[in-house]
Amino acid sequence: MRGLPVYVLLAATVTLLAYAHLLNSYWMHVAIIAMFYGILASSWSLLAGYAGLFSLGHMAFASLGGYASALLVQWYGIPIPFGMAAGVALCCAIGGLIGWVCLRMSGPYLAIFTLAFSEIVRITFSTEDQVTAGMAGLHTEPLFHSVSRLPYFFTAFGLLAFSLAVMGAIVHSRWGLFFRAVREDEQAAAASGVRVAQFRILAFAIASGFAGLAGGFYAHYIGILTPSLGSLDLMAVVVVMTIIGGMERIPTAVGGAFGVEILQELLRAYGQWRLVIFGIILLLTMRFARNGLLTPLWIQFVRLGEVRSVPPPPRDVGQEGSRI
Amino acid sequence: MDYLFTQAANGAVIGVIYALIAVGVTLIFSILKIVNFAHGDLYMLGGYCAYYVITLLGVPPLPALLAAMASVFALGIVLERLLLTPLYAERTERKDEYGLIVTFGLAFFLRNIALIAFGPFPLKPPSFSSGIQRLGNIIITNDRIFAGGAGLLLLAVLLYFMNRTIWGQALDAVSQSRDSAAIVGINPGRFNSLAFGVGAGLAAGAGALIAPIFSLAPDMGVSSNIQAYVIVILGGMGSVLGSILGGIVLGETEGLFTAFFPDPTRALAYTNAFGVLVLMIVLILRPTGLFGRRHVRME
Amino acid sequence: MSENGVLVRGATLQKHFGGIMAVDAVEFAVTEGDLIGLIGPNGSGKTTLINLLTGHLIPDAGEVYLRGRRVNGLPAHGFAAQGIARTFQLTQLFGRMTVLENMLVPGLTRPHSTWGAVTKRARTYLEFLNLAHLETLNAKNLSGGQHKLLELGRALMLEPAVLFLDEPFAGVHPHLRDELIKRIHELHRSGRTFVVVDHDMESILRIAQRLVVMARGRKIADGPPALVRADQTVLAAYSGL
Repeated sequence: MRGLPVYVLLAATVTLLAYAHLLNSYWMHVAIIAMFYGILASSWSLLAGYAGLFSLGHMAFASLGGYASALLVQWYGIPIPFGMAAGVALCCAIGGLIGWVCLRMSGPYLAIFTLAFSEIVRITFSTEDQVTAGMAGLHTEPLFHSVSRLPYFFTAFGLLAFSLAVMGAIVHSRWGLFFRAVREDEQAAAASGVRVAQFRILAFAIASGFAGLAGGFYAHYIGILTPSLGSLDLMAVVVVMTIIGGMERIPTAVGGAFGVEILQELLRAYGQWRLVIFGIILLLTMRFARNGLLTPLWIQFVRLGEVRSVPPPPRDVGQEGSRI
Repeated sequence: MDYLFTQAANGAVIGVIYALIAVGVTLIFSILKIVNFAHGDLYMLGGYCAYYVITLLGVPPLPALLAAMASVFALGIVLERLLLTPLYAERTERKDEYGLIVTFGLAFFLRNIALIAFGPFPLKPPSFSSGIQRLGNIIITNDRIFAGGAGLLLLAVLLYFMNRTIWGQALDAVSQSRDSAAIVGINPGRFNSLAFGVGAGLAAGAGALIAPIFSLAPDMGVSSNIQAYVIVILGGMGSVLGSILGGIVLGETEGLFTAFFPDPTRALAYTNAFGVLVLMIVLILRPTGLFGRRHVRME
Repeated sequence: MSENGVLVRGATLQKHFGGIMAVDAVEFAVTEGDLIGLIGPNGSGKTTLINLLTGHLIPDAGEVYLRGRRVNGLPAHGFAAQGIARTFQLTQLFGRMTVLENMLVPGLTRPHSTWGAVTKRARTYLEFLNLAHLETLNAKNLSGGQHKLLELGRALMLEPAVLFLDEPFAGVHPHLRDELIKRIHELHRSGRTFVVVDHDMESILRIAQRLVVMARGRKIADGPPALVRADQTVLAAYSGL
């Protein structure tokens, strides 16, 4: 039956939402954080997996989005959604700027530069504590004044769904093809008419905007914001999640985020060892399953219900090729 | 004025340490063609290794330094064999991305294992030589003098190794062209391991030298990573001499920056940011560094 | 200032790398309907010239004109949008994208293009190139000869007026070579202009209506094949190296 995977996903989602209120407060928090990471991992995969731009500055944008929203709400009393939107806009703008600045940088240099940018943002937020309350923590306006976390759950879900919808649309459009072409071979892409510079900047702007969205939500959910949101440690966690799941596809990135986050909670007894375990899984994944652990599963899932009316191409393509 | 001179002297010592770290990054880059994101953590391991060799085995500081360097050198070779051999397989795609992610993952792993094994609290190994030297009103600890001197010696040995020994020249050959080197009988795989090991060993030496001065913490590698990148990009990714000069210049400049920064409460925090800012500016103006060879894509 | 039928023109183009003058004061004009063979010993600057004329390199001196308009500094994608297509000496495909996707990319960069129309056109070209049955395969899994064909297909998706082919016959099975030459002739007959760089003299002579010879960065001959082959400077250039 056509589109079976979509129905499966829809059914699963509806079930999840219907029974969400049964989760206890702790596990609801885990789910919310998992969705927060889901937005970050998927947007990072857009940048690194699709466009091939390995940026270590992603969490800096989450941090920027969070502080921007928190401070605007605090200073001007604007409603939180406006604050968050402003944070997103700011991150898109700065993200695009960073993308422009990085145009001539490749691979490791881009990583180093964005790492440097991330550190500068973190150090500045930490040091200018008159404005940001630095390491002591900035108290933020909560989104909801409710005892239960349920409204936050549904908000996080809504934001994640929205993010995935937008990113999914982008990825399936010609922009998705152009991003991938830029990643595969910039020179060939340019020779094919792709405006490489424009798409590199666009990738940064879009991904950073979503990071800012996640950061803004986080700020008004947790209630207190510190510069460690933009630390390299959290950036590393996002990288680990995305790569273990599979960085070349949005669904596998989100799956990686959920998987690692839930695993992190299940393995709580192991304390610090959890991160060591994830590190090992990451290294093993890179070494032996570079596409990510969830990618083969996802590929099979997408093929559910596919009717093969056309026989697959002959295994030995050399046969046809030898004529040529 | 005395404060200035003290800072300048300290800056020179830090500079030598930076140079040791940066030289390793540059060596690994020119042979393996990847940027080693785990380099700072190898530096951190060197420091801890020396500490435990001294405190658990009762070895005096100087042999402990050598033991630490040798151990991390060996570890470097093992890690290269385990994780980086895909870099010379034909079928590995996007090798620089692979190197980036794997070393990034390695850094993550090492940092967290260190946190468990060594605990989060700073540790300080005993001095190489306790006491201080006075030059007028300027005070320098013996440890700093030792660190600077030993560091310079190590750098000199490295330069000799690279330029005067057959191993060093073979390394240079591999860095210029793997295929040509292979044709004349040099096994590039072996030299990948050697380069990674030497780079790791140098970083470990730097860590062991600096430990008595600044003490050890599991995340000490993070900021030194960044300093290392600043240096290699300034001095040229792939240029050993450039990294040495760059390291010393950066160390010196940081010291003077702290001395001159008007707001002392912020000076230290922004000193770290200073190097980072320099890095960003250099990369914007010259995306391949000031003197370095062009970043060569692996395929 | 439109110049009759001249699609691409390079005037006193210069490009050096380090101390080497790769292209030295070269004048090169491509007129509509041309089938030019660009030849010369190794290192004579042929690929650099193509890079200059397709926007992949910026000349140190001299100008590039497209249909009479000066386009110095126009980036490569701009040239592609103007109908100037090129292939690469070492094929540069989008390896992890499918054959069809490789064809869709250039097609979809064109303004007012729709997925449906572009896909149809892509499939037509794939048929023409005998690659249709490989549509869903990742490009990196094709054979070397098929790589060359796919690159040609990708170039065709731009509906180019001029195609610069850089060593299309290099390392290619003789049978495929004949197929390629047949295709080039067909495309030329239907109105496309070609500049073909190659060392394979036999193939070049089978297609070229005009020969341009380069040596050490300079253009040393430009004319009908019969005349050029008899030219003393050309013979000297080849034998001297």
